[in-house]
Amino acid sequence: MEAEDEATGQMIEDEEIYVNGGGDGDESKRHRPIISGEQLDVEAYAALYTGRTKISRLLFIAEKCGNASMQLDALRMAYDEIKKGENTQLFREVVAKIDGRLGPNYGPDNAWADAVDRRAELRKERLENELNAYRTNLIKESIRMGYNDFGDFYFAHGQLGDAFKNYVRTRDYCTTSKHIVHMCLNAILVSIEMGQFTHVTSYVSKAEQSQDALDPITIAKLRCAAGLALLEGKKYKLAARKFLETGPDLGNSYTEVIAPQDVATHYASCLEYLGNLKANLLLDIHLHDHVETLYEQIRNKALIQYTHPFVSVDLHMMANAFNTSVASLEKELEALITNNQIQARIDSHNKILYARHADQRNATFQRVLQTGNEFDREVRAMLLRANLIKHEFNLKASSRKH
Amino acid sequence: MNSVETLVAQIQGLSGSISDVNQLHSLLKQSEDFFQSESTRLASLLTELDPSIHSLGYLYILEACTSAPISKEQASELVLSVARFINLCAAEQIRLAPDKFTSVCKRFKDQVMLLEDPMRGVAPMLTAIRKLQLSTEHLTTLHQDFLLLCLLAKCYKTGLSILEDDIFEIDQPRDFFLYCYYGGMICIGHKKFSKALELLHNVVTAPMSILNAIAVEAYKKYILVSLIHLGQFSISFPKYTSSVAQRNLKNFSQPYLELVNSYGTGKISELETSVQANNEKFEFDQNLGLVKQVVSSMYKRNIQRLTQTYLTLSLQDIANTVQLNSAKEAEMHVLQMIQDGEIYATINQKDGMVRFLEDPEQYKTCEMIERIDSSIQRIMMLSRKLTHMDEQLSCDPLYLAKAGKERQRFDFDDFDTVPSSKFTI
Amino acid sequence: MDFSALNDALASKSYDQIADICDTLMLQVSSQGVIFQDEWPYAIHLLGHIYINDINSARFLWKRIPLAVKESQPEVVAAWKIGQKLWARDYAGVYEAIREFNWSPEAQGIVASFSEFYTKKMFELLVSAYSTISTQDTALFLGLNADDAANYALQRGWTLDLSSQMLTVKKQVVATEQKLDSSKLQRLTEYVFNLEH
Repeated sequence: MEAEDEATGQMIEDEEIYVNGGGDGDESKRHRPIISGEQLDVEAYAALYTGRTKISRLLFIAEKCGNASMQLDALRMAYDEIKKGENTQLFREVVAKIDGRLGPNYGPDNAWADAVDRRAELRKERLENELNAYRTNLIKESIRMGYNDFGDFYFAHGQLGDAFKNYVRTRDYCTTSKHIVHMCLNAILVSIEMGQFTHVTSYVSKAEQSQDALDPITIAKLRCAAGLALLEGKKYKLAARKFLETGPDLGNSYTEVIAPQDVATHYASCLEYLGNLKANLLLDIHLHDHVETLYEQIRNKALIQYTHPFVSVDLHMMANAFNTSVASLEKELEALITNNQIQARIDSHNKILYARHADQRNATFQRVLQTGNEFDREVRAMLLRANLIKHEFNLKASSRKH
Repeated sequence: MNSVETLVAQIQGLSGSISDVNQLHSLLKQSEDFFQSESTRLASLLTELDPSIHSLGYLYILEACTSAPISKEQASELVLSVARFINLCAAEQIRLAPDKFTSVCKRFKDQVMLLEDPMRGVAPMLTAIRKLQLSTEHLTTLHQDFLLLCLLAKCYKTGLSILEDDIFEIDQPRDFFLYCYYGGMICIGHKKFSKALELLHNVVTAPMSILNAIAVEAYKKYILVSLIHLGQFSISFPKYTSSVAQRNLKNFSQPYLELVNSYGTGKISELETSVQANNEKFEFDQNLGLVKQVVSSMYKRNIQRLTQTYLTLSLQDIANTVQLNSAKEAEMHVLQMIQDGEIYATINQKDGMVRFLEDPEQYKTCEMIERIDSSIQRIMMLSRKLTHMDEQLSCDPLYLAKAGKERQRFDFDDFDTVPSSKFTI
Repeated sequence: MDFSALNDALASKSYDQIADICDTLMLQVSSQGVIFQDEWPYAIHLLGHIYINDINSARFLWKRIPLAVKESQPEVVAAWKIGQKLWARDYAGVYEAIREFNWSPEAQGIVASFSEFYTKKMFELLVSAYSTISTQDTALFLGLNADDAANYALQRGWTLDLSSQMLTVKKQVVATEQKLDSSKLQRLTEYVFNLEH
């Protein structure tokens, strides 16, 4: 198997994945960017991903898009995708969500589900037997692959917790750094799907320790994963850096987690562009919760930077630049000043913003006098309290004597 | 066994010098029972004594007289004679029998209250305090009686004079609570909110083993004054607050804490809703006046906040932001704040604008040097007091006994010498 | 009751001492058990507090005054009215309260003095608080009619725009004498020196 596929190859059985390395050569279709203001082309979007994340993203879109036709589209694609896999639980969920709206071809298919479950039982038994055999024979490499297979098995069936446990079990049987990196990437993938981003961070660092086994693509994948974890933890600045570091090496190698467009998207900071993007960004599974905050922060940063070099700024011009009215700009600036993010004051009469440099000397004197007063009050109160305690104390002592 | 005449003669004879008076004192102490039994006869003999020269003897007789129940007609006369005595007595003599003196004064206060003429007692009580005190730093048990009389007689200004003294010595811990509470109320009456806050804070954080009603009432006022004066209130208690207070005070102040929350929104409408909702409770606690002041303080806070963000702002905008009815109202609010020195600004009627200015204080005047200098002097004085107290405590056998019991739990290094190490200059 | 101290103060126009004298005397007389309320110069007492701008004390004094006195002595009520206006910050109302009553000879001196003092204080307030103000409002603050108010201001360096009836304030630069006490500076310098070494 090719190097780049090694990470993906042993994840899911046989021909059930879309491997983007080779394939149908319809590059342009696959690489159509979603960074536009047009309504999301669900099919094109989904085509950027593979595996479980494709399904999760489709389901997320279905839930959040607020538009019946897009929803059904997404559900339909999810259904198709799930049927290619082994996850009967997810299948049942999608069927319930579709609720018969897509006709008889997209309804429950108990025959299929039962067959899959039976196959799964058989496979599980086989894997167990194999693993036991390996364990008895104490062949490390086989044991490792055995647990790994189990991990793949559980992942395919949507039992993420078990998948994670098994991948992590391989650790004791890893003999090379490459093995370790492999294990980490699997653990990371499952953790992302489970939303357990602390695991993601720790396995990224673990993987990064095995320097020799890291090729550029793997490094890029790790950075991506780290970026996602930071994003989830609201550490936007650090997340942005990680995504930046990912660079073009990623290519299409991490489609089971993230598309190259996403990396660019997660960093983009052009205001007008962003405004248009907003609707679509809200449908991205990782960004959804953070879009509003990110937008606000980006806008604030822009406002702050705009005013920074000037002694005074004309509010009419600034309002134009920020595509807002003078009145609402004033309100925005008021909030920033109150939060101490801008050192300035607004001349509302002439609509000018003036930089304000606090007089250090006066401020110091003021603080000194205030501290003096506080000390005065607190020490006197302290002396009084000590006095009171002494009395109480003496009272107790004398009553004990009697 | 003494006869009345011998007693009088003794008093007259032994009031000349300090040693004589001391001798008299021991004699008087031995004759306690005699005083009690012969009080009616002795009363008439007061005319033979001069309160300014025979203060100690006079005091003993007076104390015996006042301990007996009296009729209302006699009350007025008694009150007069006690007042006279207080004015004329010699401080050094009465200080030999402080308990008797305070007992006389307390009964005096009771009689004055019965006569429903608290003002009668104000001046004598103040004199009594000054004579009883060993120094102005000394809190006597009479302070709270005096303050109560001031409150009832509405002589707040006279009460303020006593409150200006810094207290460091306390006779009886229980006096402290009422002193601070009444003192707080007097300060509130004269809008001296900083001092009021300090006094109420002391009640709330005073060492106590069981919750007392004074602390409960003080806490309520403390919350309100804090909002008026500081524009905020912190529900967390300082570390040194008694656990009993920390656990219980909030339970009695729910309506007030709700007020704190609505004050925090910065919106007048929210605050007024909160006030309306709990109006009866505030009225019952007799805190309505303070609550009204809390509401008007919010307008001030909101305007003050604007000075941080704006250099100039229209009166109409101020009215809108602060929820006032018109630009003219806003103008009046701003003017009043300028008059009170709460903001620095100028109003421009022509353009309907206000221009906010920086505090003109440049800290370059002689007065400022004066202020800083006296502040430093005070701090050094306080620091010395702290060190002194620390030293005293280190030698106090009772304290050492208690600390000693716990000694095996600690290492030498664990003994913390803060505060004196922090504050010595 | 010995009102000599009060009378002296009134005679010498030491109006700022009236409040203290009255307070002390009242407490003293009260402690002597004298029924003083009928003869007490409440109006002067109130005006004494008002004169030193202690409206809080004036308020409490008013609360102590017996109802009978309030009903029978209109001058007492009139004096309190001034205090009320001050309390409510009804700047113009203060002048009305002063002018609408026919003051007794004893009270006239202190009222007239207060009125002058108040006008001066109001003008100082306008100077510090306003950059431009209408003649109409100025008139209200100073208790004068519009023309007199304008003249009063113009005499003190303000300027008037006739068409808009807007006065422009002239700020006064207050230069206070600095009496330098070198010993204090010396001490402060020593502190700093000590702290730094």
